[in-house]
Amino acid sequence: MRGKVALAALLGLAVVVAGVAVGSVYIPPADVLRIISHRALGTALPAGLDSAHISIVWELRLPRVLLAFVVGAALSVSGAVMQSVLRNPLASSYTLGVSSGASLAAAIVILYGFVIPLAGVMTLPLVGFMFGLGTIVLALAFAARVDGQMQNNTVILAGMVFSLFVNAVTTLLISLSREHAARLIFWQMGSFAMRGWQAVAILTPVLLVIGLFVLGKSRELDIMTFGEDQARTMGVRLGRVKWSLLIAAAGLTGSAIPFVGVIGFIDLVAPHLVRRVFGSSHRLVIPLSALTGGAFMVLCDLAARTVISPSELPVGAVTAMIGAPFFVYIYLSGRKAGVNR
Amino acid sequence: MLTVNNLSAGYGGLDVIHEVTFNLAAGECLSIVGPNGCGKSTLLKALSGLLPFKGEAEIGGMPIRTMNASQLARQLAMLGQSSGVYFSYTVFDTVMMGRYPHKKGGLLGLPTKKDEAVALDCIQSVGLLDERDREITKLSGGQLQRVFLARTLAQQPRILLLDEPANHLDLRYQTELVDHLKNWAGQKSGAAAGVFHDLNLAIRFSGRLMVMEDGRVRALGAASEIIQSGLLEEVYKMDVAGYMRACSAFWECEQSS
Repeated sequence: MRGKVALAALLGLAVVVAGVAVGSVYIPPADVLRIISHRALGTALPAGLDSAHISIVWELRLPRVLLAFVVGAALSVSGAVMQSVLRNPLASSYTLGVSSGASLAAAIVILYGFVIPLAGVMTLPLVGFMFGLGTIVLALAFAARVDGQMQNNTVILAGMVFSLFVNAVTTLLISLSREHAARLIFWQMGSFAMRGWQAVAILTPVLLVIGLFVLGKSRELDIMTFGEDQARTMGVRLGRVKWSLLIAAAGLTGSAIPFVGVIGFIDLVAPHLVRRVFGSSHRLVIPLSALTGGAFMVLCDLAARTVISPSELPVGAVTAMIGAPFFVYIYLSGRKAGVNR
Repeated sequence: MLTVNNLSAGYGGLDVIHEVTFNLAAGECLSIVGPNGCGKSTLLKALSGLLPFKGEAEIGGMPIRTMNASQLARQLAMLGQSSGVYFSYTVFDTVMMGRYPHKKGGLLGLPTKKDEAVALDCIQSVGLLDERDREITKLSGGQLQRVFLARTLAQQPRILLLDEPANHLDLRYQTELVDHLKNWAGQKSGAAAGVFHDLNLAIRFSGRLMVMEDGRVRALGAASEIIQSGLLEEVYKMDVAGYMRACSAFWECEQSS
């Protein structure tokens, strides 16, 4: 197990370096590492290094790759939490409407340019979090109303309905504002281009704080996969734990989405792969989902900006192209297994 | 050890069980039987803290109502019907979850060496020591239910509540499970109350029966006396004794032929 974890960590690091190295201009990985260590640690640079390369690495690619990594990590941890809390391998912030809610919030903030007093640059993630949480609460309340058992299909369907509705509101807002329409539509499809260091600086602490909180709830997350009644008779303070975890999950997705647009399915794919390889124990699933989701997102972004270079694909489209068939696969394999005997 | 006095409980303000009263002493088992919808499972839910209730319920003199979730989980554990498993854990990790109510503070609340020793002991007691590193999704139904039993025992409760624990198990596992639970109560001076649909299994589990009907206790006492009284026929609205005799007669002539 240790070996597998170490291998995964190395792969993740390699993906990050590759993400910085590859692009319209190829920069050798050794140079990438030298430039990063020069800017971050102040080590000397070898002579003959193209100064354009330095700014490509430091100003353009590194912040972009790190942002992709942090967002991928945040979304995946959020997905892992949702799946355990709702005991549903198909649950995720994307399928339950958090992403749509956050995206609506971002559209409103961008269109009307308002700032919450005292929150400043944190307005975007804060509003995204609140709208994301609002959407999932409505979707779950609706699901509980329709089907007291909260069966998987009902929950997913409720999430889809609310998410489509909220998306429609966003589309309406965008189409009413001609001048911003093109920019917003492209933004909505998801992209890591030109976000700079600021987004990384805001999201990294959010991810770390919430991620550590979630990691501290690993045992509860494990127990909750066996059902709510079971968890309560085993001593879990269910109401408190469940809501704090749902809020944490909405916080991760809701604060990430407003910076980068809607990027779906990664929160389904990464935790699922991690559970396949490393088992379901959340003490491993949480950090490894972050690692896998981060690396996977860097790869998707790499594909998004190189496949039809010099133009770019929206990264949300890339993750959906991979993720949607994967969703179908999980759904069908879950059905075939029934109660997994 | 468990004292229940005038307990009523239900859903959405409507009582399903009314004024249930019984006692369980250390080392004692009790079988709860009755037709569908008589309130057996509701009673267990109320006792295990899943439903609010009126009346009194105490464990060793301490009211259940005043205990928080982990205090209650250290005193009382519940084994339900084996349900589906959506996420896979090893047998060992699953049983370790039973140690949750015993967790100490600390940021991660990590399990201790003692937790591991207790878990291994419980795994051994259900005969799954060789399977401890297997994934539970790969186990048979009978093995899985034994894993859940081990997890329940790992809580080290004084009282076990069983809600049709033998459902979906084949005959051999049913009897093994019931015998195991009886032994546990005897050896650890615990007490166990189990809901059973199968009357034979109920009587194998305990000679002391509680018969429920429409949310009330109709009888509480020795199985032999209750059978003779004809109460079961009245409650189940069928010739229970006749059916049982017909069954055993069938087995006897099979043997002699």
